[in-house]
Amino acid sequence: MKEKSLSVRVAKYIVSYGLAIIWLIPIVWMLFVALSEEGVVITNFVEWFLPPYSLDSFAAIMFGTRLFRWMFNSIVVASSATFFVLLTASMGAFAISIINFRFKELVFTLFIIGILVPIQVNVIPLYNIAQEMGLVNSYAALALPRIAIPLGVIILRNFFDSIPKSLIESAKIDGASWFTIYLKIVLPLSQAALAAVGIFTFIMTWNDFLWPLIITTREVMYTLPVGIPTFLDVFRPDYVIPMTVNMLAAFPAIVIYLIFQRKIIEGLKMTGIKG
Amino acid sequence: MKTSLSKILKFIKDSDSITAVIFLLPFTIVYGMFLIHPIIRGFYMSLHEWTIIRQMDFIGLDNYRRLITDSSFWEAAGNTFFFVITSSPTIVIGGLILALICNSKLKGTIILKTAFFMPYVLSVAIISLIMVYFFQPYAGFVNTFLVNIGLSRVQWLDTESLAWFVLVFATLWWTVGFNMILFLSALQDIPKSYYEAAKVDGATRWQSFWNITLPLIEPTTWTVVLLQVIFSSQVFAQMYLITGGGPGTSTRPLIQYIYQTGFRRNNFGYGVSMAFVLLVVLTIFSLVFQYVKNRRLSDR
Repeated sequence: MKEKSLSVRVAKYIVSYGLAIIWLIPIVWMLFVALSEEGVVITNFVEWFLPPYSLDSFAAIMFGTRLFRWMFNSIVVASSATFFVLLTASMGAFAISIINFRFKELVFTLFIIGILVPIQVNVIPLYNIAQEMGLVNSYAALALPRIAIPLGVIILRNFFDSIPKSLIESAKIDGASWFTIYLKIVLPLSQAALAAVGIFTFIMTWNDFLWPLIITTREVMYTLPVGIPTFLDVFRPDYVIPMTVNMLAAFPAIVIYLIFQRKIIEGLKMTGIKG
Repeated sequence: MKTSLSKILKFIKDSDSITAVIFLLPFTIVYGMFLIHPIIRGFYMSLHEWTIIRQMDFIGLDNYRRLITDSSFWEAAGNTFFFVITSSPTIVIGGLILALICNSKLKGTIILKTAFFMPYVLSVAIISLIMVYFFQPYAGFVNTFLVNIGLSRVQWLDTESLAWFVLVFATLWWTVGFNMILFLSALQDIPKSYYEAAKVDGATRWQSFWNITLPLIEPTTWTVVLLQVIFSSQVFAQMYLITGGGPGTSTRPLIQYIYQTGFRRNNFGYGVSMAFVLLVVLTIFSLVFQYVKNRRLSDR
């Protein structure tokens, strides 16, 4: 009896960890292809992971491509979208949740409607509007449709609703203005929710593909997801260079993920359940 | 007249309302300009012959009539539908299975969780590029492996059914971590005492899964299914980058057809009318889904 349960346990470990290894194979493989020499013929799949290693492709990319410019663009767009989502959504949620005014539920309902509208179905009129405003190939055009998504307001409103009313009341009696209450009480108490919204917005903006593909026509304004596929050429037998580009683009995301793993997962949990 | 004027004056004097408006203003402006305005503009555009050369010839519902007889539209809509019904169950059930693994008593579940979630933080461009070379016909990882174990090479992306397999596999690999996290948090909320009580009553593992776990994670399951269907119905980048919609147009999804109509053939009016149909279908689906979910959850 005991022996059987032991073998079941071992089998469970093998299946679980085996699956985890399979899950990581494509990423690990990408790393090894990036490190390999160009033009080496692979006959056995184990050879993918064996030397000779080479950093030539890294040097070629550092000096010969716009990869770092695209990375810079992605960082600018994702961080500014995150900043403005946190600012505008927290202000809007504060008004709806904390300040008492007429029509607040109506305003909130109007915001909720927007959650049903994915950016993918809006791209043609969005492009038309951006063009009229002269925003094609601009950081503003890349970030603004993300800032307009009401998910942050909805999540933060739910969170602000859980802040004890007595706290707000006593601050009011002490003569604090709404602005002070927003800045000194509500925001500090909501760090977890703000982090959740911020992380979610950053990852989503960082990964946006269709909208940047449409709104950027000059190569210097590409974000990473638009730039990377320009290296994609299935007919070229050698793919060390494209995979090195891929590897360099993936690297910051993987490092940030490994460092902030717990926060990222907790954050997504919150957005998924509330959204 | 006089009363309404005094009402307005009172409203303005009521400083809370003014402050609320000020706080609401930044988000409302962006929301109005870049989310609501495009919807209205989109509907307006769909009623016009709207191309680069000929702008704004009012044609009423002609774009919508044209769409009914456009076989490419129906093929693309069918492809999106096919992707939704194949990928959604796979990725929802996959997420549940991985969550159960991460919630088990094994040692080092944090490592497992980290591994399963990792692809999700990568951009769709990165995962697509990996998949293209992973399934590449001559020197791809999968085919070198198949040759090594004595099988022959497979033309993954040139065969319709295999191309679909690659697309669903790529999306599963990339996004299943998100569903896993949602299920995992629901599983962790189930009190351990429930399982202990069931064990005392002689319930098997399978019985407790069926009678305790599944009912208790039901609210989360509804949420995960809804998010997954919405996500899957907007699929574009994986096809665009991995199969290019091919072979032929057999894996081209609706969003790609809209993109090509709008930005390659510059027929904005027609493209946006298709986007509108998708928006209406998604909205109706979400509302019906929420209604059914609420009825079912309140029945219990």
